[in-house]
Amino acid sequence: MSKLVTRELSKAFSGLVAVNKLSFSMEEGEILGIIGPNGAGKTTFIHLVSGILMPTSGQIEFKGKDITFSPAHERSRLGIARTYQLIHPLENLTVLENVMIGSVFSRGKNLKEARSAAEAICAELELDGLGRDTSQLTILEIKKMEIARALANEPEVLFLDEVMAGLNSDETRQMIGMVQRIAKEKRMAVGVVEHVMGVIRELTQRVIVLDSGELIAEGPYEEVSKNPRVMEAYLGGAA
Amino acid sequence: MKLKASWLAAALLAVAAIILPAFLGAYPLNVARSIMTYMALAVSWDMLLRSGQISFGIAGLFGLGSYASALAVLRAGMSPAASIVFAVLFAGLVAFGLGFAILRLRAMYFSITTLALMEIFRIIMHNLHDFSGGPEGVVLPAILFNGEAKALYWICLAGLFVTIAASVYFEKSKLHLALTAIRNDEISARTSGVNIFKYLLIAFVATSMLQGLMGAIQVQSYGFTMPDTAFDANFTLLPLAMALLGGIHSTIGPMAGAVLLGVAAEWLKLKIPYGHLVVYGLIIILVILFMPKGLYGLAKDKFKKSHDNRVKGKLS
Repeated sequence: MSKLVTRELSKAFSGLVAVNKLSFSMEEGEILGIIGPNGAGKTTFIHLVSGILMPTSGQIEFKGKDITFSPAHERSRLGIARTYQLIHPLENLTVLENVMIGSVFSRGKNLKEARSAAEAICAELELDGLGRDTSQLTILEIKKMEIARALANEPEVLFLDEVMAGLNSDETRQMIGMVQRIAKEKRMAVGVVEHVMGVIRELTQRVIVLDSGELIAEGPYEEVSKNPRVMEAYLGGAA
Repeated sequence: MKLKASWLAAALLAVAAIILPAFLGAYPLNVARSIMTYMALAVSWDMLLRSGQISFGIAGLFGLGSYASALAVLRAGMSPAASIVFAVLFAGLVAFGLGFAILRLRAMYFSITTLALMEIFRIIMHNLHDFSGGPEGVVLPAILFNGEAKALYWICLAGLFVTIAASVYFEKSKLHLALTAIRNDEISARTSGVNIFKYLLIAFVATSMLQGLMGAIQVQSYGFTMPDTAFDANFTLLPLAMALLGGIHSTIGPMAGAVLLGVAAEWLKLKIPYGHLVVYGLIIILVILFMPKGLYGLAKDKFKKSHDNRVKGKLS
């Protein structure tokens, strides 16, 4: 059974249709690329699936259960986690506390259990200095913390919204390895939104391409990147 | 080690507060009671503030507690002790009901609505002549402990201890994570599984019960109340000023602010009647402009800086 399925999922912002009748599914252990030009609706789509926005129409199913209108905190308990394109660190908490929150509220662990779970996750991601304020972190560390926070939910489906943005090539390589390891070890379904096509090529087994809220192509990266509709979406129509 | 030292200091302070009446006469004990009441209100206000919600409704729930307790004695024949328990539960129940409406509001809209609450409660008590005594208020048949100053001090101190214990629990338990997350970033909190409405409701109901408790103790200690006394705006403004001066988002900050401002106000009252209100206003303005973290925040930053410097010194 697919982990996550959407059927004809749509979201309109007073006239502007940001996501238009999007149907797709995600399987256990797969890394799925979600690409498309700016404004294609990638982030809106993740907002819909994670419950930050409610859809105008359509349906979302998680492991066969209808979650179309479930509140975000319930979805996080069920096993859907995500990071944000615009980072959202909790400034008045330490790095460790930022990560602990998911363990406490999504997994119902007590503070002591959550602390050791968070420490283990951060060790795995090679993130240290856990007593620091988030304002003292480098960009790579913030991105790692965002991923650590998502992992603390112990998700089955994870969306990474441009976690490579702002990283240099060494850091990007490090991050790619980390995402691959996580997906493999935890049998997670990972959705990756990324603008750097090299990352998508290296990381994903399958790609969906959005343009103006519609799904215009689906398949392995090599195949999709040669699709004329995709090239048109990225480069504009023939002059 | 550090934790143990701070618990020891807290225990010593608590013992000192308990044995204080042995050394003080009735007048200073009255002043102490007033300061403790404001202190409890300041701490309770801060507890909700940790979730980012600025309430101006302290006086409303304080007054509600006063009236619930007084009317439980007068109209239902409860004993004073039972009436205090009743007032706490009643304030909690009202807050629970109201919470479903007002905890969906944020920022300015939340603050203004809580301010309106105070006025609504006051007007209701003002106008329910037969039940609440109207503008003249109500007089209880007897004062708690026959008005014995030491006993009244201790019951007020007990109310304060309950408030401080609740506040420390808020700081040490998972409520700390939930409320801070809500204050910092609600979207991020939701994604980490925090049920925002649930935790705001817990904080709102708990702090309302504490404010109701202090109101009930107050009315049982004085033996009378009226709308303009029970819902006096000072019960909102002074705790706010105290918490801001002492340092918000902590238990110790509002407590320190209450001692400083409370003592200063007593002294100023003698020197320039009503002058203390001007001083309060000035303090709020100056603190917001130059010391937004309050005294406790300032001390913490200083300590941290010297600690960081020491660490740096060791490394280089």
